[in-house]
Amino acid sequence: MSALQPAPLCPGLDTFTASRQDRPLQAARTDLGPGVFLNADPALQLAGSYSSPAGYFLDLSAAPAGSGSWFGLHVVLQLPPLQGIAYLGFACRLASPEPQTLRASLRSGTHDGGFSDCFFDKHILASERAHSHLDALYLDCCPDLPLSAPWRELVLFLPCRDFDLNLMHLHLFAV
Amino acid sequence: MSSDPPLDLTIAIPSYDDNGQLTRLLRHLEALNIARQVIVVDDGSLPAPALEALAWDSGLAPDRLILLRQSRVLGAGAARNRALLYVKTRHLMFLDADDLPTRELRSLCHTLAQADPFDFCIFQHHDSRMARDSLWGQMPFDQDFWVQAGLAQGGLRPVADAAAPLLAQTANYPWNKIYRTDFLLDQNIRCSETLVHNDIALHWQSFLRARRILSSARTGVTHFVQPGGGRLTNRLDGERLRVFEPLEQIALEIAARHPAGAPYSAAFFGFALGLLNWVQDTLAPEFQAGLKSRGNAFLRRHLSRGLIRQLKQQRPADWQRAAELFSLPG
Repeated sequence: MSALQPAPLCPGLDTFTASRQDRPLQAARTDLGPGVFLNADPALQLAGSYSSPAGYFLDLSAAPAGSGSWFGLHVVLQLPPLQGIAYLGFACRLASPEPQTLRASLRSGTHDGGFSDCFFDKHILASERAHSHLDALYLDCCPDLPLSAPWRELVLFLPCRDFDLNLMHLHLFAV
Repeated sequence: MSSDPPLDLTIAIPSYDDNGQLTRLLRHLEALNIARQVIVVDDGSLPAPALEALAWDSGLAPDRLILLRQSRVLGAGAARNRALLYVKTRHLMFLDADDLPTRELRSLCHTLAQADPFDFCIFQHHDSRMARDSLWGQMPFDQDFWVQAGLAQGGLRPVADAAAPLLAQTANYPWNKIYRTDFLLDQNIRCSETLVHNDIALHWQSFLRARRILSSARTGVTHFVQPGGGRLTNRLDGERLRVFEPLEQIALEIAARHPAGAPYSAAFFGFALGLLNWVQDTLAPEFQAGLKSRGNAFLRRHLSRGLIRQLKQQRPADWQRAAELFSLPG
């Protein structure tokens, strides 16, 4: 007997987690899998590597050579109509040899080619001891979030300096 | 949307030179599928908005949208009164063009569709000023009245007679209630047709004349407040002195409804003191003398010794301030 499962919000996330990869980071955009990529300010002159053992999401070792303003993990979302959702959230488990503070946003494309970010409230703390992080947007509390958008992403903002980060898993949910 | 909205509801929206916000609101209404009919009353905007453009930009079916127009600026009160004449649904709700309805409002509509008949249902809202402190919900001043009334929680609850005068003291917003249309029509309840303070009569007459009021702690609307903006809310000129028109109207109605209106006396004059103090804070200097003389006359005319004792006890800060401003007996 099989339970009905809701459609995944990012099919590429499971595909990437199931894959085995060990590759260098690109200076600007590193595609990890369909709808999952790292995007860095070219001024960072990003170097480093990432790996994804099978069944494990992402180990990231970043070593920028320059100074830049942004670096993020982007997960392209396939969301049902927002008017039918009360909460949109994510759960992850992570660790880092050095303490790191990260933030996440729901990014919505705009019709003029730009985007707007709706930030999750909680800061994400990664430390030596692995722990879980759970956060969700109560969409009625996000009046600036457009109900319709050409595209949406979950963006996990990463440090713009040398760091190592272990993201054991990342799950998305909409209810 | 093909499915019917949960409640037989019209949403009426006064709008003045606010097409961007209005379109955003109409998009939300279309997406949430809350209203069977939406009536926009344009308050003399130049250029005038076009029905086809509003429908196209918002995605609302043209047959669900009515666009009325006032050829010159008459204010939101006159616009709401005009809309009321065109309502064909059992229920009516007012929104401002820059408000946003929530998913919780849709849930409330589902609940109200199953409820016994009511005259109006008042619900909670989110005030954008709260977001500055990363908080969600009503301003503390309003929330306190909901707490005192014992109605700060609950999906849908009847408002007892003792609780109604407390809820009546919340800010006199027109958009935090869903009305039974015939209640407004049969009771001849209307907004004042002044440019500002046009919601006082609607609000207080609703409480005074209703036989069955419901309340919901659901957050039904996000209300945006922009201090210093160009909206009528921010007018500081002599138009503000017309505040005495609805105040006088309600004061007389409370007196005429004695003894039934008595529980509202302290509530209403407490509200009036707070409002007049606020007007004094914001009014341009050249109108201060007029406010003082008219405030003095209004309060002396209506405040009995017993009422003054109640106000001193229930609203000591407002009373003290008003007594100084309007030269009232201390």
